[in-house]
Amino acid sequence: MPIVEVSGLNKTFGSGELAVHALRDIHFTVEAGELVALLGPSGSGKSTLLLCMSLILEPGSGRIVMNGQSVYDSGATGIDLRRFRRENIGFIFQANNLIPFLNARENISLALQLNGRSKRDATRRAQELLEYLEIGHRAESMPANLSGGEQQRVSIGRALANQPPLIFADEPTAALDTERGMRVMGLLRKIARERNSAVITVTHDQRMIEGFDSVYHMQDGRFVDAAEAAH
Amino acid sequence: MDLAVKDIRRHVGKFIATIIGVGLLLTIVLVMNGIYQGNIADGVWLIENTGTDLWVVERGRGGPFNESSRLPADAYRSVAATPGVARTGPFIAYSAQREIGGASQQFTIIGYDVFGGLGGPGRIASGNAIRAPHYEMVADDKLGLHLGESVRLGTRSYTVVGITHLAVDAGGNPLVYLSLPDAQEVLYQQDGRALVAARAAGLKRLELSGYNPEQAAKLLPLLAGATDTISAVLLRLAPGADAEAVRARIRDWLYFNVYTMDEERELMLEGRLRRMSAVLGLFRSLLVVVSIVIIALIVYVLTIEKIRSIATLKLIGAPNSVIVRLILEQSLLLTAASFVFAWSLVQLIGERFPRTLVFLPQETAVTFAVMLAGGVLASFLAIGQALRTPPQLALGG
Repeated sequence: MPIVEVSGLNKTFGSGELAVHALRDIHFTVEAGELVALLGPSGSGKSTLLLCMSLILEPGSGRIVMNGQSVYDSGATGIDLRRFRRENIGFIFQANNLIPFLNARENISLALQLNGRSKRDATRRAQELLEYLEIGHRAESMPANLSGGEQQRVSIGRALANQPPLIFADEPTAALDTERGMRVMGLLRKIARERNSAVITVTHDQRMIEGFDSVYHMQDGRFVDAAEAAH
Repeated sequence: MDLAVKDIRRHVGKFIATIIGVGLLLTIVLVMNGIYQGNIADGVWLIENTGTDLWVVERGRGGPFNESSRLPADAYRSVAATPGVARTGPFIAYSAQREIGGASQQFTIIGYDVFGGLGGPGRIASGNAIRAPHYEMVADDKLGLHLGESVRLGTRSYTVVGITHLAVDAGGNPLVYLSLPDAQEVLYQQDGRALVAARAAGLKRLELSGYNPEQAAKLLPLLAGATDTISAVLLRLAPGADAEAVRARIRDWLYFNVYTMDEERELMLEGRLRRMSAVLGLFRSLLVVVSIVIIALIVYVLTIEKIRSIATLKLIGAPNSVIVRLILEQSLLLTAASFVFAWSLVQLIGERFPRTLVFLPQETAVTFAVMLAGGVLASFLAIGQALRTPPQLALGG
């Protein structure tokens, strides 16, 4: 069963002559355990697609089904979007956006506690995740005292905390050098394989596209093939 | 997880500095409370501590504190003869300003019958009451005088034989007790040149009216202003006497105004203290509003500083209640901690404050409750901003 099914998705900002068609008739399917890249230049619509699939931005029309549940069908479907997001989607950001007043373990533990885990259980699970990401020794460190790569790993840990079937990564390697970027991409691949989570990554970093199961090129709000994108 | 406390721990120095700032503002609010109540306490202190059942004053006047009142000194004897009266005493009160202890100080002089007992200082902190008919005084410790010290008032010196504590007039100025003749002398005495000038002017007026110099010289003492006057007669009722009947008799037969202690207190509160109390009350309300506005701005700034974290919280699915709690808790912690700081500071400076400060526990509790409610109100602006923040802000676009 596909984890994400997007069909006929459109999104337009503004109206009349000023209308910007950010998404045009997007059809898109992602399977569990699949590592997908959304590639495209700035303004191509990849971030808008990510926001729509993240249930943060309401599309104009179309249909989104996630984990077998219809979450958008040319209008709201009445589900609690924030709760659905909490239980089904993990986020990894370009700037990692860790909560600066929580240490590494607390950043992960918070996501678990928000999902109803007890403090003790959440702390134990957060420590396990940090060990899995090979930064268990940095559990007590505040984000400001972590390197960029370490911060990104904590961010990945937070995204994995509730074992979501779907992870969105927005330019996860943009702030990292090539070596650290490669390591993060390796980690995302490992997560997709070992945890059977679908990982959809928005990037314009051509260095990182090797190893993705599927690569979608976006241009002017629609998917184009690689040749057209290169042209 | 208590996000509010975690955030504060990260900026503990900044938060403490904010508490001190807001706390100083709240200190002013509490001090205004203290001044407001102190103003009332000072205003009625003399009325409540003179130990009289009725105040007899000049007809048609609201004296002796709210308005001047002049009675012949022997009026207390007429009042004493009224049925139902156990004791009476003459009483005079007036403001003075003299150089004491190297500084010009304002105080109120109280003159009373030192042998009759009515109107004298109630509680003496050290020393004793006036025992001699002349040249002794009891002064409040606010004047900085010591027992045995000699103070020059007019042409004579007075020895401090007793010290009172918190004996003040309606303006918060210290009281000085003298025997009645001494108080009258200090009030009416003029220096030699002023006496000569007044005498010359009086003679001139008489001569212009057609009297020859010899006649004018004989008439002059009769025209001089009376110096043997008092402000009020203090009256203690006989056991079982009907106060209303005594009042009516004095009012109708002796043609004086008579006030009970409650009426005298009311005259003071509604008269002399009213405007001051209104001004203090207004300032107090304004300060509370200003404090709440400042807390609102601080909480707003604290929220804006972590708006990206709030967007991240929203993105990872935190319900609104978590975000509201984060802001509200910080606002309440800031308000409560500032209030505690203010209260502690007021306890430290209260004794050294130049005016009497009176803190009523229930009023302090109400102020605390108002400030907490204000803290909640103050956080609404920030909460509104936080709830409007789109989660995509965390993604950077």
